[in-house]
Amino acid sequence: MIQETGTNLYSGILRFYSLNDVRKYMKELLEHYQRDYDRSSNVIGSLLRTEGGKGMEVIMSKGWAKVGAMFVDVTDPEKGGMELTFQLVTEMKPRISKTEEVLKTFESVEALPVPADASFLLYLHSGIPERLVIDTTESRPEAYVFKGDYATVQ
Amino acid sequence: MPDEREDVLEITVLIEDVDAARLSEKATENATSNYSLNVSLAERDRSQDHLVLSFSLELTSQPAMARFKVSGSATLKGTKDEIKEGIAAPNDSRPPLVLLEIYERIYSTVYLLASALKVPRPMPNLLKKSS
Repeated sequence: MIQETGTNLYSGILRFYSLNDVRKYMKELLEHYQRDYDRSSNVIGSLLRTEGGKGMEVIMSKGWAKVGAMFVDVTDPEKGGMELTFQLVTEMKPRISKTEEVLKTFESVEALPVPADASFLLYLHSGIPERLVIDTTESRPEAYVFKGDYATVQ
Repeated sequence: MPDEREDVLEITVLIEDVDAARLSEKATENATSNYSLNVSLAERDRSQDHLVLSFSLELTSQPAMARFKVSGSATLKGTKDEIKEGIAAPNDSRPPLVLLEIYERIYSTVYLLASALKVPRPMPNLLKKSS
């Protein structure tokens, strides 16, 4: 399998040991989504410019047929592929907006009275940060230190 | 992104500083010499899926003919449990996996320096804890 384009959208819970790390992670997430969006929308934009004035018809395939439970395009792979990219771009927008909004308003979370030794569980749903648990039961592990004496022997 | 990684601990080592000294005029490459190794690892940064350690290794030959000091950073990438396993010493005589990786990575550098200084080369098969 080769991934052509798009983002693997993570659903799960991540633990952080500071709100700063949560912010940093979400910022990187947003930058990742934006890069993907730019890449895919450039492909669409470039095609629309090349085909000048033809509008959406250049990315809308007429070759779709319902086979089983899914739609399959067997007659127009170029437009079919382009239409998928267009759908992807359309779906990326709300994810980017939501992540941006979470990040913009994250100050209000940072202003909460948080115990110094708390950790944070971030819930991501299809790549969107949706919930945060301030966990006072599991604090940051003690900083790792190791000292030892060893030898190499001939 | 979290779901793009494979579930295997990944350790990368970066050498940041090296210091080597020939301590005796009588030293030769072929002289029998064991090396004692003093190790120090300390946490530099930690997040959900990685741990960055500073390391400092000092190798001194016995008898004293040469000394090498190498320091840098080691980054462990993996799950919380994989990282925990990577930094834990299995028992008193065996070093943590991360230390074995660090030694393996720095060994070629130390070997070349020992050759250049014409002093005994340390053995690659670390690590028996000195008594």
